Amino acid sequence: MIIALQLYLTEIRLSFLTVQAVSHQYAGTDVKVLNNVVLPIQENEFFTLLGPSGCGKTTLLRVLAGFEVPTQGKVLLDGQDIVRIPPWKRPVNTVFQNYALFPHLSILRNVTFGLKMRGMSRAARHKAAHDALALVRLEAFVDRMPSDLSGGQQQRVALARALACKPRLLLLDEPLSALDYKLRKEMQGELKRIQQETGTTFVFVTHDQEEALAMSDRIAVMQQGRLEQVGPPSDIYDRPATPFVAGFIGDSNLLPAEPGAGGRLYLSGGTDLGVPGAAEAQVMIRPEALKIDTDGPLSGVVNDLVYSGAATRFGVTLNDGSGTVQIQQPSASVSGISIGDLVSVAFDPNQLWVLDR
Amino acid sequence: MLIMVFVSLVERAPDGGVVWGRFTTVAYTQFFYEENLLGEMSFNSDYMQIYLRSILLAGFTVLATFVVGFPTAMYVAMQEPGRRALLIFFLSLPFWVNLLVRNYAWLLLLRANGLLDQALMGLWITSEPLNILYSNTAIAIGLTYSFLPLMVLPIYAAMEKFDFSLVEAAFDLGANRVQVLMHVIIPGVKGGIIAGCLLVFIPGLGSYVTPVLLGGSKSLMIGNLIEAQFAAARNWPFGAALAFVLLLMVVLAALLRALLLRHRQRVAP
Amino acid sequence: MKLRTLILATLLSAVAVGGAIAQEADKKVNLFFWPGYIPDELLERFTEETGIAITMDIYDTNEALLAKLQAGATGYDVVIPSGYILPTMIKQGLLQKFDSPDLPNGDKIAPAFADPEFDPGRAYTAPYMWGTTGLVYDSAKTDGELPQSWSVFFEPGPLSGKIAALDDEVEVFNAAAYYLGFDKCTEDPKEGQQILDLLSKQKPDLLLYGSSGTIDRVLAGEVAMHHIWNGAAHRIRNSVETARYIYPKEGITQWADNLSIPSTAEHPENAKIFINFLMDPKNVAEITNFTGYMNAISGSDEFLKPEIAADPAVNMPAEFADRLRPGRECSPAARDLRNKIWTRLKK
Repeated sequence: MIIALQLYLTEIRLSFLTVQAVSHQYAGTDVKVLNNVVLPIQENEFFTLLGPSGCGKTTLLRVLAGFEVPTQGKVLLDGQDIVRIPPWKRPVNTVFQNYALFPHLSILRNVTFGLKMRGMSRAARHKAAHDALALVRLEAFVDRMPSDLSGGQQQRVALARALACKPRLLLLDEPLSALDYKLRKEMQGELKRIQQETGTTFVFVTHDQEEALAMSDRIAVMQQGRLEQVGPPSDIYDRPATPFVAGFIGDSNLLPAEPGAGGRLYLSGGTDLGVPGAAEAQVMIRPEALKIDTDGPLSGVVNDLVYSGAATRFGVTLNDGSGTVQIQQPSASVSGISIGDLVSVAFDPNQLWVLDR
Repeated sequence: MLIMVFVSLVERAPDGGVVWGRFTTVAYTQFFYEENLLGEMSFNSDYMQIYLRSILLAGFTVLATFVVGFPTAMYVAMQEPGRRALLIFFLSLPFWVNLLVRNYAWLLLLRANGLLDQALMGLWITSEPLNILYSNTAIAIGLTYSFLPLMVLPIYAAMEKFDFSLVEAAFDLGANRVQVLMHVIIPGVKGGIIAGCLLVFIPGLGSYVTPVLLGGSKSLMIGNLIEAQFAAARNWPFGAALAFVLLLMVVLAALLRALLLRHRQRVAP
Repeated sequence: MKLRTLILATLLSAVAVGGAIAQEADKKVNLFFWPGYIPDELLERFTEETGIAITMDIYDTNEALLAKLQAGATGYDVVIPSGYILPTMIKQGLLQKFDSPDLPNGDKIAPAFADPEFDPGRAYTAPYMWGTTGLVYDSAKTDGELPQSWSVFFEPGPLSGKIAALDDEVEVFNAAAYYLGFDKCTEDPKEGQQILDLLSKQKPDLLLYGSSGTIDRVLAGEVAMHHIWNGAAHRIRNSVETARYIYPKEGITQWADNLSIPSTAEHPENAKIFINFLMDPKNVAEITNFTGYMNAISGSDEFLKPEIAADPAVNMPAEFADRLRPGRECSPAARDLRNKIWTRLKK
């Protein structure tokens, strides 16, 4: 991990929620589903756990919710370890992937459920429910049954139900994965708005990196139970800490480079990359940082072309043996180029990012 | 059933059987009234007491089988699929054995100096026979045991279909274990519970083997009463009338179930 | 010469058999019997000797038999009704006349049983087994020998909680009636009330009312005294030497089972052959040895097992003869009164 340890420790002291060296394995197995995870989460933050299936993000969420007790480690909320506190006593609520609305209760009764369990009076909880439903813009549906609603509407009810309890921490377990594209985009905006309006800390789990980049204040990328990188979206995207993060987030080109004259890195074909480096490394460059230009240091043959309206993507096999790169450019600047053409490729050294091998 | 209603309304022949063609409702009035020494009709509560006892006994059996059967069904439903099938098999195994044989087994267990007493006295837990047999306790044990599978299986079937992620959601929202049971699980398997109650109550009303064998035949149940009318008493119309009243009670119970289930569809906020 | 011998032989054998019954072409007879009431070996011997095959169905109460015949059942050739139900069955024409004294073994019927109240002259019946319903107790569990009276049943004293009554409306009512000195077919509600009071007072002293498993109960020591039929008492005495049977002085119900032929019987001639077979002293002794109940045929004594002959429960001492109260069918009013008392006792 490249992130400075001191920075982390400072954050831990000041943060509202800390996951402290949490490891977990299921009884009778050796596989560590979570491996020494350390995470400080700030209040009012929109924090996302991102990673492929099986990386442990959902397990971590369940640990925060109280459905799993980790085999090692602590979770501190305002300095107090909540690991052994049962879910119903935590100021934490969850929006489940399958919504989990109570089918035998009306929408209103669903939303007031948590408040009723905690003994709130009828008038107070009805008011809180109406407020929550207003937040998700479903006030008109109070008397309906869950089976009357569409998937997206049910999702919003689940959100209202969790928010009505005014939790300190709201956990969302891939809540948008069952929705169609358009609805997803809409809900992403809604979630962001609601998070800012209520000021609740959100911990959001997803495997969709676009979603994560669009909504989060900070992202934690996980793989096989380990944290790969934690930081704001721009850090994750422009300055990935490991090859995994580089490959997982966005599209990237990873080219092998070696140190050479002047303490700088050179591609295998001898091209000077213009960045300092003393050891063998991988250099990452995003497709949109490469350009097909009349005059560039690299050259190659176009082997793939995908036109998508505003932009066009090219696959170009470099002549210096470095491999194939993806290039994305505004369509206007590259009309007329077709598969099989010999082109020259330019790059901006400032947009290169060096990773250890 | 039509024959039964018909027989209940005809006149009784002096030596058993009926006189076809002569109609009277005397069988039904006999249920409530009897002729005393002066030839007047006075209210007779004997038969109603017998019916009431059978209802109470059946009701108690429903309660007892629910208390034992509900946790059992829930436990089985939470096991993994392979184990579940095995447990259900064992639960329904007694059903393959004849009712009489099952009751006799309890007789051997519960009689004074029977197997239970021998075990307890052998372990020095008690020093004298418990004398459970031929008491209401013995009847309760026998009935609960006999009818348990009928309560467990419908509840288990409902639990299998129940979405247990709702339980997690309820925990998350702040419900503790008792609240989850009352507000999420029980409403969720309500259909199974009602089915189980009916499956125990209706045959329980007519049960008379267990009260006779394990209770010492000290009280009459509806079944015994009806049987006596066709045997020693030779009063067929009265026997048919008694059976008809029993049928009415069963129909009422079934109607109640339908009402309960329909009401469930619209729960007011 | 040969032909004449043949004809002569045929005539002679016809005369020798003289008075014998003609056999039917269909060599079958269907019995409708109580369970466990006739030994299989005897049935097999009958089939061997006569070539008639036997099938048997069972029923458990006289009322069940009555109901079946009233409903018009066919297919039964020999049934076994008790004395008290016979007047009704005869009056309703459910049985056919076959005059058992006229059968080959008809002269073997013991005089005491030749002319019963329920079937004068034995027109519709032949006697089968008879018995009594009294009390059996284990003298090892009581303070020595108990008096020959129903008082030990209704005022058990130290035996309270260790006695059992039969679960039988008629027998329990009869016992109470004898003890109180009433007619067991009383129609008087005042007498009925007294009987009810006596039985209600007795109820807490009883461990249970039970008609099945009686022998087992005494052998297991669950009860020290049981209201019981004498054949079962005999079986108890075989295992428990200290068991005693009581013939109460106030009166003891005597019941008698009989063989009859339903009017709808399909093989009445075969039925008569079977009934005749059972009136043979040696054959009927086998039944007595098996069931433990006494028969009504003279000359069977020499074939009885010694322990049966020596058991007063089966072989009633002559001095108790005046205590016998033959079972009778009561009037509908009396039956209703009795049933009402039984219901009220058990409600």
